[in-house]
Amino acid sequence: MIDRTEARRASGDALACEINGDAVTVRVPPSKRLLSVLRDDLGLTGTKRSCEIGRCGACMVLADGKPVNACLTMAYQCEGKRITTIEGLSKGGLHPVQQAFLEEGGYQCGYCTPGMIISVTALLREQPSPTADQIEEALSGNLCRCTGYGGILRSVQRAIDLTKEAQP
Amino acid sequence: MLLNRTTSGSRWRTRPDGPGKVTGGLSYLTDLSLPGMLHGLVLRSPHPHAAIVSIDASKAMALPGVLAVLTYADVPGLNRFGIARPDQPVFCEDRVRYIGDAVAAVAAETPEIAVLALRAIEVAYEPLPVVDDPERALLPDSPLVHPEGNVLHRNDYRTADVAPGFAAAAHIVEETYVTPRQMHTYMETEGGLFVPEADGRLAVYSATQHGFMDRMQLARILGRPEADIRVVSSPIGGSFGGKDELNVQPYGALLALATGKPVKVHHSRWESVRAGLKRHPMKIRMKTGVDANGRLLAHEVEIVADKGPYATLGAEVLNFAVEHVIGPYRYDAVDVKSVNVYTNNGMSGEFRGFGGNQAIFALEGQMDRLADKLGMDPWAFRRLNLRKTDDAGPLGQPIAVTAGASQVWEALAESELWRSGTGRGSAGSGPGIGATGGKSAGHDGSGEEGIGLAAARVEAKTASDRGQATAGTPAPPWIRRGVGASFVMHGAGLGVGIPDPAGGRLRLAADGKIDAVFGYEEFGQGLIASLEQMLIEQFGFAAEDVRIVIGDTDVVPDSGSSTASRSTSMMWQSLRRLRGPFAGKLIAAASAALAMPADRLRVGAGGIRDADGGELLLPYAALAAATAKAPVIAETRFEFPRSPVDRVGAHFLYTYSAVAVAVEVNLLTGRVRVADQYHTVAAGPVVNPQGFLGQIEGGSGMALGFSLTEDAVMSGGHYLTENLDTYLIPTVAELGGTFEVEPIETLPEGDEYGPRGIGEVGSVGLAPAIASAVYRAVGKRVNRLPIDPALLQETDGWY
Repeated sequence: MIDRTEARRASGDALACEINGDAVTVRVPPSKRLLSVLRDDLGLTGTKRSCEIGRCGACMVLADGKPVNACLTMAYQCEGKRITTIEGLSKGGLHPVQQAFLEEGGYQCGYCTPGMIISVTALLREQPSPTADQIEEALSGNLCRCTGYGGILRSVQRAIDLTKEAQP
Repeated sequence: MLLNRTTSGSRWRTRPDGPGKVTGGLSYLTDLSLPGMLHGLVLRSPHPHAAIVSIDASKAMALPGVLAVLTYADVPGLNRFGIARPDQPVFCEDRVRYIGDAVAAVAAETPEIAVLALRAIEVAYEPLPVVDDPERALLPDSPLVHPEGNVLHRNDYRTADVAPGFAAAAHIVEETYVTPRQMHTYMETEGGLFVPEADGRLAVYSATQHGFMDRMQLARILGRPEADIRVVSSPIGGSFGGKDELNVQPYGALLALATGKPVKVHHSRWESVRAGLKRHPMKIRMKTGVDANGRLLAHEVEIVADKGPYATLGAEVLNFAVEHVIGPYRYDAVDVKSVNVYTNNGMSGEFRGFGGNQAIFALEGQMDRLADKLGMDPWAFRRLNLRKTDDAGPLGQPIAVTAGASQVWEALAESELWRSGTGRGSAGSGPGIGATGGKSAGHDGSGEEGIGLAAARVEAKTASDRGQATAGTPAPPWIRRGVGASFVMHGAGLGVGIPDPAGGRLRLAADGKIDAVFGYEEFGQGLIASLEQMLIEQFGFAAEDVRIVIGDTDVVPDSGSSTASRSTSMMWQSLRRLRGPFAGKLIAAASAALAMPADRLRVGAGGIRDADGGELLLPYAALAAATAKAPVIAETRFEFPRSPVDRVGAHFLYTYSAVAVAVEVNLLTGRVRVADQYHTVAAGPVVNPQGFLGQIEGGSGMALGFSLTEDAVMSGGHYLTENLDTYLIPTVAELGGTFEVEPIETLPEGDEYGPRGIGEVGSVGLAPAIASAVYRAVGKRVNRLPIDPALLQETDGWY
């Protein structure tokens, strides 16, 4: 038996989901990539386009809190989901992970940075005190060509500290 | 003192472009869009070499939603581009010479229609023999890439006959080094927005490393005055030399003018790979002789570089390599021959390090091998032949005098990491290596028992330790650790014979901001952060007082290119020239406005302050209002300092660096893991600690890829690596070890040139240091990059 729930849901060529806390309905074909929906239909260009095959992580966003490559996610897969992009992280002021990257200089050109910050955020939500191996695993899908990752790893360390400080 | 956030204290600053980068709020030029904009795509050749028989665009043009299909017939000006020599067709007329060659371009209402239109363009080709090997391309019977022959450029340099030196030599090392087709792999692919303005001008929003060069080239292609074109070129999501040459700009500009509408172009990764520049693959043969005491007698070099089809800066890269295969050493006789050869492979061109990476990998390999033959410590051997402070440059040219060479030599010799690998440091004896039957590779190196294997018996760290100390954990017997080192002397600036302008402008704007206006580009290196930091530290301004204006040909002066490790040092020199005039004018104007003597006033945070007490007397906004009729402005123009010789490409300012690296070779997999790194860099004062650290760390990351994983593999003129799933840049897993950067900031008294460039040097030294470390770990010499794991695999005898 083929479950057609998703297909029926998407048949109106409209995606209804929550993006950065706002309910959003956008008329797009169900197979349109989330990357393109965000950048081209919604003007959320903080999510970057780079390899488009899910290797580099520049387009990473959170879907129901889990990191996903927006270039590999189709509109219909986002139906009813909570999507958080880099723009959504700082709605209430700089997120501690963003603050950490800023302080440590965990970026240069900045093009990988939104995706990197999304991945670090997802990691620290899951695991506030990650081991080196867990950090490596969490960031293995995010490529950075500028920093050599030194500043990024220092930012992760700083983000761990800032996140702990923010806890009551 | 090691450079890090702690040791930098208050000099560690948040970058002005940081908030926009961490929040995603910063718009890159590929993020721009306009209502009603069209989408541009370029049709590129499917063949590495073919004659074009016919092009029929009628079906594409007839598609609804297609507004323009352009070919060579639609180029109003010069149908060519190329910074140094315009020989690359904007659109090919009758022949394609690589699989990135452009044949047509379309503009359509949607990206989907643009794709359909590309498919509907009918081009008939007749394939031609593919020239894919630069050495074979030099043979008399080779097919020709260009009618005038397959040689773009030759450059020879000879100081004396090398034959007597070789005849007298106690040891001679002869080796051929091969380096890969490395890809820049900026995360933001090429692209931008091209906007016909109401007044008839064209606005180009697209990344480059020299806005005025793009404007000149576009004017030439479009057949219109430069003044009719505005190039906005920053911020940029990485470049590394790769966006120095035109890429999408001719197509976006032509399509925008043809349709009268804004056109967006943004390369897919595959289009970026096929069309874009790469590091020149080079084959470098070296023959070097020493006497019994280790003195270098003769050094003979032949370089063959794979240019691909068109010039761009291929001649200049080759010249740079010629200078850097000689490097920081003294020889009795040097004889270098070099050639850059046209092929139907991908385009090679400018890339961070600019030919130095290949040259120094080879040169340092020679030094290691010679030391080995002499039974000498490789670092001590380098000292024996190292240039003295007052020596001429590699090409015999006068250069700015610094003690950088000996400074970095000494710093490395004293570094903990290097000492740990020489038996004088922390080398311990791990169990198991001898007993498990892992064979020690028998090679010609006679010193390996004394140095290599002793170093290998360090208690190696396991891959999951991220290089953090794990005292007492013995490494598995198939992990061999070695520490290697290399020496780098790297030139900055464009060199003799090439226009190399510099300069900038300071202005008190009407709103009271101090505008610092420079024609440089921000591609991630931290240029605007460095400029802000210099303005604060040298003038006493507050960050809020300052507004950085760059990357827009309508408003900036031509400060020259943001290439060749030149822009930070040129900004420093500009501010040094502007400090007196600009501060003087501010104070003179304030003196008039306040009716106070000038010597009672000084420039400071927020405005003009009392010279003694420091209290704020006149905010900049008030001073701006007072000077509205005669705004305070100071401008400087000068040339990058150059050596007074007529040897094209010879440099005057150099940065020196020494690199030590610990590697772990896994004999079961043949894989090399870089554990710990130490980089010392003598480049004068550190302008921006965060930027400096980032440049050395980031450059080293690129060098790691160059050494271990990166190669844009081609076969018969076709790329086999089309995206980042097969082209492997380092991930966080490859770069987790400890990393120490030790700047040496002292310059000779009276030095006028200030900070030297550091944008490239970090990308150079790691590759030869890794090769050296691998040898000291397992006794095998590496002469080809990236290192083939099969070379290092020793799977026999473990079971």
